[in-house]
Amino acid sequence: MKTDALQQPVGELRADGAGGSEGSRRRLWAILTLVSLPVLLGMAFLYAPEDANQGAAQRIFYIHVPSAWIGFLAFFVVFVGSIAFLATGKRSWDDLASSSAEVGVIFTTAVLVTGPLWGRPVWGVYWTWDPRLTSFLMLWLIYLSYIVLRGYVPEPTRRAKYSAVLGIVGFLDVPIVYLSARWWRSEHPTQFVVEGGDLPSQMLVTLIVGVVAFTFLFLYLLSVRRSVARLRAQRELEGVSR
Amino acid sequence: MSWLAPAFTIAGKDLRLELKTRDVVASVGLFVLLVVVTASFAFPTGGAGREGVAAGVLWMAFLFAALLGMGRSMAIEKEDACLEGLLVSPAPREAVFLGKLFSNLGFTFAVELVILPVFIVLLQLHPAGGTVLLILGAFLGTLGLVTVGTLFSAMAVNTRGREAILPLLVMPVSVPAMVAAVKVTEAGFAGGAAESTTAWLLLLLGYDALFLLVALATFHYVTEE
Repeated sequence: MKTDALQQPVGELRADGAGGSEGSRRRLWAILTLVSLPVLLGMAFLYAPEDANQGAAQRIFYIHVPSAWIGFLAFFVVFVGSIAFLATGKRSWDDLASSSAEVGVIFTTAVLVTGPLWGRPVWGVYWTWDPRLTSFLMLWLIYLSYIVLRGYVPEPTRRAKYSAVLGIVGFLDVPIVYLSARWWRSEHPTQFVVEGGDLPSQMLVTLIVGVVAFTFLFLYLLSVRRSVARLRAQRELEGVSR
Repeated sequence: MSWLAPAFTIAGKDLRLELKTRDVVASVGLFVLLVVVTASFAFPTGGAGREGVAAGVLWMAFLFAALLGMGRSMAIEKEDACLEGLLVSPAPREAVFLGKLFSNLGFTFAVELVILPVFIVLLQLHPAGGTVLLILGAFLGTLGLVTVGTLFSAMAVNTRGREAILPLLVMPVSVPAMVAAVKVTEAGFAGGAAESTTAWLLLLLGYDALFLLVALATFHYVTEE
């Protein structure tokens, strides 16, 4: 089981060093997150106007929508990292993919928690099998199974290959899930979906700030998680059990 | 084409093994029958709109059957290092995958073809002109299930979880195939194609084709040591 794929990260790890550019970049993401999140909170409550129909409940939108975007971005990173790992065999790609999957599950959980909180006052129900809700639920389940799978494979190389295959299959599944959920729903003519076609500019600006702030948060969490993955890789190389 | 001959050899080996032991057909067949009977007690399977419930019950049973059969089929290869033997043989990895896929598809589909008439009689359904649709839906749906399932079962046998891990991997990913297969089967039970049936069949075909390609491209990563 000692393969080249395992030997490669050692050099990278030492070249990278404990602090270095990665550490300073992480500090930058942390500072930007700490600055932009309170700004987002202030804008969501004070700057953005109250929605005429939905009232204050609509303000959860500024957390919900950025979480959804970032969740999707995170799983796209898993997909890219998985392909890159299978192509190159470099452990760092597996670290990236697995870290992004864990962070993505956090953001998708936020989507699935904030969605029903908004749905209850506005739609009257916590949950509906809307295509987007269904897709996010399936995304969440697929990447939970990704994390569970990783826990069940002790050998690092094997774990990386298996989860890369699941990362690819899972991401390609998403458009099909969305399509099937949309066709499935269309047979029940309940029109719940609220389209944000004409957003007032203050709402749009707040939403953009939200996406930016959550991107910083994502980059920060991903960076922290990758350094943990790198330490774990080093420990596995030294033969210490997890 | 050089994939097909060794693939059929591997599937033929599974068939001969099955003819001697009757392991899969006996255990999976009885299991599906038990699921169908239990579910018939558990769900309201009479009255109007029962085609939808029946299709759902049937596909839950088919899903369990496929999972059980695929798990066993790969567990057999693990004994006495059969899988390693297959992998060092001159057959390309794609042929090994296709061979296991053919045998999984064959066994699961055979069990389904036996269960389907029993199910129709038990639940007093009248598919009449929908029979072709039922068989087509069962075939395409099962092909989708065993395509992802064969790929994932090669992973699952090498995990600490073994049998426990296969359903966790297959079920979330196979949801679109299950939804489409249930819709096609429902139309079949109702006696013929509904308005949306063609779209569902196309979705099933697309799902099968996409994941067949992905599985062929990734199987050798899953099996290399």
